[in-house]
Amino acid sequence: MQSAKILIVDDELIMRESLAGWLERDGHEVEKTASGEEALEILKESRFDILLVDIKMEGMSGLDVLKQVKETDPDVEIVMITAYGSIATAIEAMRNGAYDYLLKPFEPDELGILIEKIIEHQAQIRENIFLRQQYKDRTRFESMIGQSRAMQEVFDLIGDIAPVDSTVLITGETGTGKELAAKAIHTNSPRSDGPFVSVNCGGIPEHLMESELFGHQKGAFTDAKTTKKGRLELAHGGTLFLDEIGEISMRMQIDLLRVLEDHIFYRVGGTQPIEMDFRVVAATNKNLEEAIKEGTFREDLYYRLNVISLRMPSLSERKEDIPLLAEHFLHRFSQETNKAVDLISRETMDEMMLYEWPGNVRELENAIERAVVVSKGRKLIPEDLPIFRPEYLTPPLDNTLLEVEKAHVSRILKENQWNVAKSAKILGIDRSTLYNKIKRHNIRKAS
Amino acid sequence: MNSLPGHTILISPIGDSESELYSPISREVSRIYGYPTELMPLLQDLDFAFDAGRNQYYSTMILETLAIKAPSRALKTLAITHVDLFIPVLTHVYGEAQLGGKTCIISIYRLNEGLPAIDPQKVFLQRVVKEAIHELGHTFNLRHCPDHTCLMHYCRSERDVDQKSDDLCRHCKVLLEDELKKGQRGSHPPALRSDS
Repeated sequence: MQSAKILIVDDELIMRESLAGWLERDGHEVEKTASGEEALEILKESRFDILLVDIKMEGMSGLDVLKQVKETDPDVEIVMITAYGSIATAIEAMRNGAYDYLLKPFEPDELGILIEKIIEHQAQIRENIFLRQQYKDRTRFESMIGQSRAMQEVFDLIGDIAPVDSTVLITGETGTGKELAAKAIHTNSPRSDGPFVSVNCGGIPEHLMESELFGHQKGAFTDAKTTKKGRLELAHGGTLFLDEIGEISMRMQIDLLRVLEDHIFYRVGGTQPIEMDFRVVAATNKNLEEAIKEGTFREDLYYRLNVISLRMPSLSERKEDIPLLAEHFLHRFSQETNKAVDLISRETMDEMMLYEWPGNVRELENAIERAVVVSKGRKLIPEDLPIFRPEYLTPPLDNTLLEVEKAHVSRILKENQWNVAKSAKILGIDRSTLYNKIKRHNIRKAS
Repeated sequence: MNSLPGHTILISPIGDSESELYSPISREVSRIYGYPTELMPLLQDLDFAFDAGRNQYYSTMILETLAIKAPSRALKTLAITHVDLFIPVLTHVYGEAQLGGKTCIISIYRLNEGLPAIDPQKVFLQRVVKEAIHELGHTFNLRHCPDHTCLMHYCRSERDVDQKSDDLCRHCKVLLEDELKKGQRGSHPPALRSDS
């Protein structure tokens, strides 16, 4: 049995002592007091799991103690101790939040079983709080990492959409983790025991796409020496992930639309209809609405795919995740390369935070991999990162003026070892203006 | 007789307890706690602890009186009585001990409830011995143990008592040895029990 911290409140010395002795032998930490007023004072200083309170006491009654304690600490469980004549009050106490009451003298077992029950009840509550907190504070969801609000929203949405069987369209820039999101949807869905079949629609030549998706019968075409199952068949019972759906040809769009409507298709060269059960998750980095306007993507297929939409944020939208991601990749690549690189210098981290990462998480991942390979010590320094090669130092053309200004001010300050007067002179502004810019852009001196 | 303080564990029968109990209790007490035992009645009757309203005897009061009467050579005193014991909050107790203190008491009053048809006397004797070791354990600062087989496990029924072993669990043995080592600093060292 686990032990609890118990406060006994009883104005009868004999009762107090005998109860305390009994509970101490059971391994509990026990304190005792003779009045309700004293109990409230003790509770200001320390926290207890359980209070055993006598109903009839001189001065403050047990019922008043119960009401006051429950107001300030509703989690503490209170057991009222009562004599035969005060059962009505004990029942009133239960209505006011008491866990239970004991009629004294009680059977030795009665007390032990009740205390055990309370401890289990409290452990259950703590576990539920912990699980809720863990869920709230989670920085990982399946293989995705992020503590930013944007990623927490993604995790929440995946949690919501995974159990339903609707088609999902994931949008987002290249390298934002669309496939990871698709896998997370699959893993958290009732189809998780089934296969996750991925098709890179942009990576398969158009003339092979039909056979790849639908399969073919032996002899259907020159190279069809055997009958082959397509990806749609392989996805039976699971999830079919259509990556880069924006790259699919207009002809394939028609075929795919038909499949999405009734899940029935024919192998290339086949005459028998095949009915399969799979969920479709598609992804694209293209603006499909624009593609519809341009006439390169079918509107009916778009609406068939976009039953639920999930947008993956770019890394620049969740810069606060960079340290977490960088540490994760550093750990992974140092293990993979068997190199003892386990630190990222503050300066390197600052530089990574300033960089815009147009290639998103995938670019960060590649940058850390390269940095681990070229690193000479156990700490990554800015020179280890490929982003500091000259071609990277030119700000991307789509940066805002403010972003360019922040990067430029940061670089001048760094080059002049944070000599504000000298930096201000180079920038052609006065010192107070420079201080304002440092504050406004939240530029920090690297340690 | 050795008169060093805290040298012996006193077994103190109260009234007409069954004398055949003492020898197995004495043997097991020495085996578990490593101290020699001595049989010595300290109280002739328990009238002073009798509660007429409950028709029972207040065990805490008995322990306090025993502590006063026990000779200095007694490291611990185990009293054995046939009367029904209580503490004010509980309907009855099988025994009581001063946690980390000098005295404990067991009552055989309820230990003969639910005895099996086969070998009832042997089972009864085992219960008494287990209860004696259990209460003495409390005087060595041992608390109730969650291990169902350990002598320090608090049993909810006579059947549970019958099912637990006649030894301390590994955890309680360690705690006891720590307690005995602490005791060595202020009194005569016990012959520490070997488990080999």
